[in-house]
Amino acid sequence: MTQVKEKERKLTIARAMAEAIAQEMRTDDKVFVMGEDIGELGGVFGNTRGLHEEFGGERVRDTPISETAFIGAAVGAASDGMKPVVELMFVDFFGVCFDAIYNMMAKNTYFSGGNVTVPMVLMTSTGGGYSDGGQHSQCVHATFAHLPGMKVVAPSNAYDAKGMMIAAIRDPNPVVFMFHKALQGMGWLGTEKEAIVHVPEAAYEVELGKAVVTRPGTDVTIVGITSGVHFGLKAARILEEQGVSAEVVDLRSLAPLDRDTVIESVKKTGRLIVVDEDYHSYGMTAEIIASVVEAGVPLKAAPQRVAYPDIPIPFARPMEQWALPSPEKIIAAFNKMKED
Amino acid sequence: MTTDVIVPVDMWEEDSEGVITSWLASDGGEVAEGDVIAELMVEKIQYELEATASGILKIINDVDDIVEKGQTVATIG
Repeated sequence: MTQVKEKERKLTIARAMAEAIAQEMRTDDKVFVMGEDIGELGGVFGNTRGLHEEFGGERVRDTPISETAFIGAAVGAASDGMKPVVELMFVDFFGVCFDAIYNMMAKNTYFSGGNVTVPMVLMTSTGGGYSDGGQHSQCVHATFAHLPGMKVVAPSNAYDAKGMMIAAIRDPNPVVFMFHKALQGMGWLGTEKEAIVHVPEAAYEVELGKAVVTRPGTDVTIVGITSGVHFGLKAARILEEQGVSAEVVDLRSLAPLDRDTVIESVKKTGRLIVVDEDYHSYGMTAEIIASVVEAGVPLKAAPQRVAYPDIPIPFARPMEQWALPSPEKIIAAFNKMKED
Repeated sequence: MTTDVIVPVDMWEEDSEGVITSWLASDGGEVAEGDVIAELMVEKIQYELEATASGILKIINDVDDIVEKGQTVATIG
C-alpha cells in the first residue's frame, strides 16, 4: 500500500498572511484591504504581497498617511456590511487612531444593542530587536488586550498565521491581528527559522482564543506569545540538557484568553515562568500569574516573569539587546525558582 | 544526476551581495522544478529563488548566509 503524504510546503508568516487574505478575497467580495504601502509594494512586512496584482486598486487600497482617516473609514465600511482588513503599519502608531479603534471599532456592536456588527481585521506589526527605536519596536499587547470589545490575537508560526487570519476575517467581531516583525521572514527584521513551517494550501481556520501546548514537559511551564514562544522553546532545549523538562504554552490569543490551558499545564508542572516582549508592569505576564494563583493551583515555587523593562525601547543595539527577553533570562528565572 | 541551484547572475542589478532570508523547503525534502524554495534579500528587497530541477534538496547555505550572484547555494538530486 502506498502512503499518500502531502508534499511539504513551507511558508513564512508574511506569505501565509497574504495567502489567507487572497483566499478569502476570492470567495467573499466584501473583503478588501486598506493601509499604507499595502498595494503595489505588497506591504513593508510582505503580508499583502501579490494582492494588488490579483485584485487591483479598488479592493487593495493604498491610503494617505492618516491612520485616523482610513481606520475610521474601515469602521464605517464594516458597520455597513463590508469586511475590511486594514493595516496599522507599526502598532506604535496607535496614538493617532485610538478613538476609531477602541471607542468605535470595539464598541459599536454594544452601542447599537447588537444591531450593528463590525467584522473588521486590524493587522499590525509588533516587536523589536533590530534597532528601530522606541516608536517602532513596541508590542503593547496589554494596551489592546485590556480594552473590552475586540479580539486580540498574535501567531508565532506560519501555520497559525494563515488559520488565524482566515478565522479573523470570517469573525463577526473586530479582531486585532498582531504579527511580530522578527517572525515575518523578512531578513532585515531578524529571522526566526522556526516560524517558517508547513502550511496546507486549502483554506482552514485556527480557532481564535485557544492556546496550544507547543512542547510538552513536566517540570516547569513557560507561557509566551509570538517572540516569547520562540525564546521559551530555545530555553526549553537548553533546560533539557540539564535534565529539566519544560512545557511551552503558546497563548496565540490575548483576548479571549485561554486561562484553562495554562492552568492545566501548571497543575501538572507546579512551576510557572511567563515571557513577554511587552512591558513588565501591568502586563500579560501579571494577568497570567494572577489567573493561575486565583485558580488555587498548588505551586512548588513563586511564579516568575521575563518581560521588557519599564523603559522606552533603546535605539542603540547593545542597550536594546540587553533589554529584550531571552532564553538566558528564562533559565536565570528557573534557577531562581530552584533556590526558593 | 545532481543539479546545482545557483543564484541567477541577473537576479538583482547592483553588484552587491545578498543574504538568504528563508528556505521554503527543507534540507533533504522533495522539491519540484519551478517551486519557490528560498527568499534572498538585497537592500531590503526580496527575491525568489526557484528550484531548477525536481528531486531531493540539499541545502549548502543556511539562512543569514551572505551569498553572491552565481553562487551555488544548494543542489537537487
